[in-house]
Amino acid sequence: MRRRPLIALAITLLGALSGAAAYQQAGPRQDEKSVWREIAWPFPRDGWPAGKAYRCDSCGGDVAISVRPKIGFCNCDRGVADDDEVDRVADVDLVNEHFVPLSSGQLVRVADMPGRIRTYELPPAASTRHAVGIAVSRGCDLLVAVAHGNGDVSAIRRAALAFLATDQMTRWMVAVMEGR
Amino acid sequence: MGDRLKLAAWCAICFLTCSAAYAQQQVIGTPPEASNMKLVGTSDLQARSAYQPTIHHQGDRWIAYIGHHGGSDEIPAPVNPQTGKAEPNGTSIVDVTDPSQPKYLRHLSGQEGKYEAGGAQMVRICDGKALPKGDRNAVYMLRTFGGEAHEIWNVADPANPVLVTRIAGLKDTHKNWWECDTGIAFLVSGAPDWRTRRMTQVYDLSDPAHPQKIRDFGLPGQEPGSTGAVPTELHGPISTGPSGNRVYFGYGTNKGGILQIVDREKLLSGPKEPTADNLRLPEIARLPMSAFNGAHTTFPMLGMPIAEFARDKDGKTRDIVMIVDEAILNECNEPRQMVWFADVTVENRPMMISSYTVPEASGTFCERGGRFGAHSSNESMAPVFYKKMAFIAFFNAGVRALDIRDPFHPSEVGHFIPAITAATDKRCVKIDDKNRCKVAIQTNNVETDERGYIYIVDRANTGLHILELTGPARAVAGLP
Repeated sequence: MRRRPLIALAITLLGALSGAAAYQQAGPRQDEKSVWREIAWPFPRDGWPAGKAYRCDSCGGDVAISVRPKIGFCNCDRGVADDDEVDRVADVDLVNEHFVPLSSGQLVRVADMPGRIRTYELPPAASTRHAVGIAVSRGCDLLVAVAHGNGDVSAIRRAALAFLATDQMTRWMVAVMEGR
Repeated sequence: MGDRLKLAAWCAICFLTCSAAYAQQQVIGTPPEASNMKLVGTSDLQARSAYQPTIHHQGDRWIAYIGHHGGSDEIPAPVNPQTGKAEPNGTSIVDVTDPSQPKYLRHLSGQEGKYEAGGAQMVRICDGKALPKGDRNAVYMLRTFGGEAHEIWNVADPANPVLVTRIAGLKDTHKNWWECDTGIAFLVSGAPDWRTRRMTQVYDLSDPAHPQKIRDFGLPGQEPGSTGAVPTELHGPISTGPSGNRVYFGYGTNKGGILQIVDREKLLSGPKEPTADNLRLPEIARLPMSAFNGAHTTFPMLGMPIAEFARDKDGKTRDIVMIVDEAILNECNEPRQMVWFADVTVENRPMMISSYTVPEASGTFCERGGRFGAHSSNESMAPVFYKKMAFIAFFNAGVRALDIRDPFHPSEVGHFIPAITAATDKRCVKIDDKNRCKVAIQTNNVETDERGYIYIVDRANTGLHILELTGPARAVAGLP
C-alpha cells in the first residue's frame, strides 16, 4: 500500500523529465522550421584549408552553406571595407565564377564580427540560381561564408544568417578565429 | 629509490625536450649564424621596420635608400635621434660609401599608420641625366607614401631631399618599377574604381615634375564594372625596357600566384580603355601557380647559357624567371613559401623547372618565431651577380645566397642570419585566443650593389646589415 504513492510519484517525475527532454530536443526545430545537416566540404582544395559545410532541405528550398576562416587575409585596419572585398574573398567564385551582384551589399555582424553581406545571381547554366556572400573580419583575419540555392534570394539570405547565428555555429566560428 | 629515479629520468627528458625546442631560439648577445657570408657593417635604421633597400652610386658616393613599413602598436612613430622628434616611419637615407661605417643621413617621414597601413615601403632611384627629360643635376627618388600616394623627391643632396611631385588619391600603393632610361614607371596602386586592391598604373615619368598617365592595367575581371571572380591581385612588375620589350608581372603573395608575361610595346601603345579585351591584348602568356604559393618577385634572367646544354643543338641558352613567394603567417601556419625557377624560353608555354627552400630542420625555423619562408630577392641586374647568384630574404632564416648558374639545379652556397638586438620586435601567434610571442630576426628584403656588397634589412626593426661573400661563394660570383 505504501509503495503506490511512491510508484505514482516516480512515474510522474519520469514523465515530467522525459517531457522536458522531448521539449528541449523538439522545441527549437519546430521554431526554426529548418534542419541543417553537415556535409563534406564541396569544393576542390585551394589556398585555404577547408571549413564546414551544411545543407538544409527545408529552408524554402534546397540551400547549402560553406563557412571557413581565412587567417591573415584581411586588411588589418579597414576590415571588409566594401563590396569589392566581398566579391573577392567570400568564396562565391567557388560556387560559380560568373556571379553577378544583384545589388549593393549591406553591413552585417556574424559571431560579433563586423563585415558585409551581398547577394548574387548565378548564370542559367549553374546548378543553383542565387548565392549570398558574407565576409566578416577580426583584426587581420577573415571569416567567410557562401550560401546558395534555387529559391528566393531573400529566403536564402535569411536562412544563412539564422543558421550562422545559432549557438552551435557561433561557438565554432569563435573557436576557429581564436586559433583553436 | 625507484620512484626517485623515475622522477629524475622524467625531469631529464622534459629538460632535454624543452632545450631542443628552444636551442635555436635567438637570444640577445649570441653571434650571427653565417656560412660563406661575413658582416661588414650595420645601421640600426632607428629601429624602423624595413622593406625595400635600393643602393645608388651617386657621384663618388654610395647611398642606400630604405623604405619602411608603418610603426608598431608599441611605438607608432619612433623618435629620430637627429631631430629629437617622433616621426612616422618613412625612408631612411644612409651613406654606405664605406660599408663598414654606414652614416645615417636622413629620415624622411612617411604616412602615419601602423605596419602595412603607414610608412613608405617602396623606393626606386633614377639619375636626372639618365631620364629623357629630367634635370641633369637631379637624382630622383620614387617612393610610395603609405598606401595613398606615390612621391618623387630630388635627392641630389641625399641629406636634404626636396619634394618634386605627388600622385595621390590612391590606396594600397606598393612595389613599383621605374625604367631610368625611358622614364616609364609601372606603379603598383589601388585605383578607387578597380575591383582589386592592387593593379598597375603605367606612367611616363621621364619628366618627374610632370607625370603623364598612360593607362591602367590588370587582369581581366579586375577592371571597373566587371563581374564574377576577381583574379589574384598584383604584387609587382619588373620590366626589361624597350630592348627586351617584356614586363614580368607577379600576382599574389602567398596564394594563387600568377606570372604574367606582357608585351611592353603593346601595353604602352595599345588601346587604353580598361575593357577585358584591351587588358588581354598585350598578354603573351601566363603561368598560373599552385593556390599554395604567390608571386611576390618575378625576376627575369634572359639568355642564360646552361653549361649542361652546351653541346645540344638547340636550347643551350634559356630565358629564366625567378619567382619568389612571400611568407605571410608566423610560425609556419601556411604552406611553405619558397623560390621557383620558370623556363620562359618558349614564351607561350612557360614551365617551372626547379625550386629552392631552406630546409626547416637545419634551424628548427618553424619554432624560432616570426615568419619562416621566402619573401623577396635582390633585383639589381649589375654584372657582379646577375645570372650567377641570387640572394633571397628568408625571414627568420636570414638571407640565402644561391648559385643559380644552372637554374635547373639551384644550390645554396652561403647564408647569414643576423643576431637580434634589444630593438628586435616580437612576433606572435594566437593560441586559445592568447598571443604567444617570440623574438626572431625577420630578414625582409635584400639588394646588392655593383661592388658586390649585399644589403639586408629587417622587418622586425633590427636594421640594416651589409654583408660580403667569403670562401667558395665568392668564387661562384667570380669575385677575387
